[in-house]
Amino acid sequence: MNRLAGAVNTRITVGVVIGTAIIIGVVAVFRLDSTGKKGSGLGDEFKYDVKDLGKIDPELILYEQSSEPIATGLEISRAIAVDGRGNVYIAGDNAVRIIGEGNPSKRIELSAAPGCVTVADDGRIFVGLREHVEVFDVAGKRLASWPSLGDDAVLTSIAVYKDNVFAADAGNRIVLRYDAAGRLVNRIGAGDDTRNIPGFVVPSPYFDLAVARDGLLRVVNPGRHRIEAYTFDGDLEFWWGRYSAGLEGFCGCCNPVSFALLGDGGFVTCEKGLTRVKIYDAEGRFVGVVAGPEQLTGGKWNICEIPSACRLGGFDVVAGVDGRIFVLDTVKNIVRTFTRTRAGK
Amino acid sequence: MLVGILRYGGLGLLGAAGVYLLKKNPKPRTVWQIDPQVCVACGNCANYCVLEESAVKCTHAFAVCGYCELCSGCFRPDAKELNTGAENQLCPTGAIKRAYVEDPYYEYVIDESLCNGCGKCVKGCNAFGNGSLFLQVRHDRCVNCNECSIAAACPSGAFKRVSAEKPYLLKETHA
Repeated sequence: MNRLAGAVNTRITVGVVIGTAIIIGVVAVFRLDSTGKKGSGLGDEFKYDVKDLGKIDPELILYEQSSEPIATGLEISRAIAVDGRGNVYIAGDNAVRIIGEGNPSKRIELSAAPGCVTVADDGRIFVGLREHVEVFDVAGKRLASWPSLGDDAVLTSIAVYKDNVFAADAGNRIVLRYDAAGRLVNRIGAGDDTRNIPGFVVPSPYFDLAVARDGLLRVVNPGRHRIEAYTFDGDLEFWWGRYSAGLEGFCGCCNPVSFALLGDGGFVTCEKGLTRVKIYDAEGRFVGVVAGPEQLTGGKWNICEIPSACRLGGFDVVAGVDGRIFVLDTVKNIVRTFTRTRAGK
Repeated sequence: MLVGILRYGGLGLLGAAGVYLLKKNPKPRTVWQIDPQVCVACGNCANYCVLEESAVKCTHAFAVCGYCELCSGCFRPDAKELNTGAENQLCPTGAIKRAYVEDPYYEYVIDESLCNGCGKCVKGCNAFGNGSLFLQVRHDRCVNCNECSIAAACPSGAFKRVSAEKPYLLKETHA
């Protein structure tokens, strides 16, 4: 009798132990998150969330997208320009694509990937390939190929003003001034204590320039978050801009990535990170916003999650003679057109 | 008895032959590594490693870095001042150390003893900077599980098996 009772107790005990183990195992399988779907489990201090910084008061948005985005037709789009007739030039892949309203698009094949493009008043197209400039006529025939600037050169912007051509070299952190024939006249912006020129800080390949109607060259100094004004001889006259995650300044480590000049002497700037396009007056005072993350990234605060997308996130911007602003979305390879609908402050 | 000797002797010979063949043609040893071009810095590396302190640490590609005074991997986007104050630092564990080089450049170094592999700095660097900060499995820490728990939890499929002779997938130049 005692032996039978002992055997029963043993069986019960073993059964309970095995049953408990099975229950624990089932619970563990269903509760254990081995696939990461429940997240990292880290606290809020480990989260990177800058959505609040990307919010913009709707009253400050002065522009609206006025037409459907234009597909660039390129796999990698890098730069945009516009001529006096409203034709849009997009540099990317190994080509420049010309899109005109109502006209079939044209394509100029290049020998290498372009980094920048501009159109002179006479219709000549100046393209900055990585380390040299090439010039094309209206029909796309190559007119000239200027000397190479060396392996370290990375041309990121080009502008034409009368008989002067200016090219921004992000690799060497310098602006080059050429004459109409492609002869190098001088270099602008090299650090020089005797002339109170601090030098350009260019941490990433975004380095833009343009010539303003006052005859001074405007160059972004992205690492210092400002736009500097130089004479053609290289004297630094003044600058404006400051760092700020807020709307009135430029965010991140190096912004703005591009800018363009408006007909009234003002500036339209484009930033990466917190992707936003903004308007400043001729003196550098904040006026308003063309588009913010909501308009440019479909509601996300930024455009990238993987590194390759982040590297493409430096949009380019250009202003047409009619006041329209064209923003080249280098991630989605589209051109957005914005028209002003509201007066600023 | 003779049959037994033949039977077991034959099995032993077969076993020895198998061991010989294995040693002659060993499978190349592989280890786990994160592909920095795929990693989205989700934070799972910090908590899914079987080790108490994750084998994943942040790594810095100095050749890609811009040495910015305002480093978006080191400082919060809305930092009031660029100093070591915790309220200005992006890293919750204070693992990123900053050293002045020359105006206006600073060098940023990861203190691995403080880094937990959360990837917050990677997100900041990718979003605003050059993407020079990225996560890697440190093979002086990793125990090379056959089925890596972090790999199973990785939402982007960034974990790969790579040759043990080249165990790191480094960013070397700016793309």
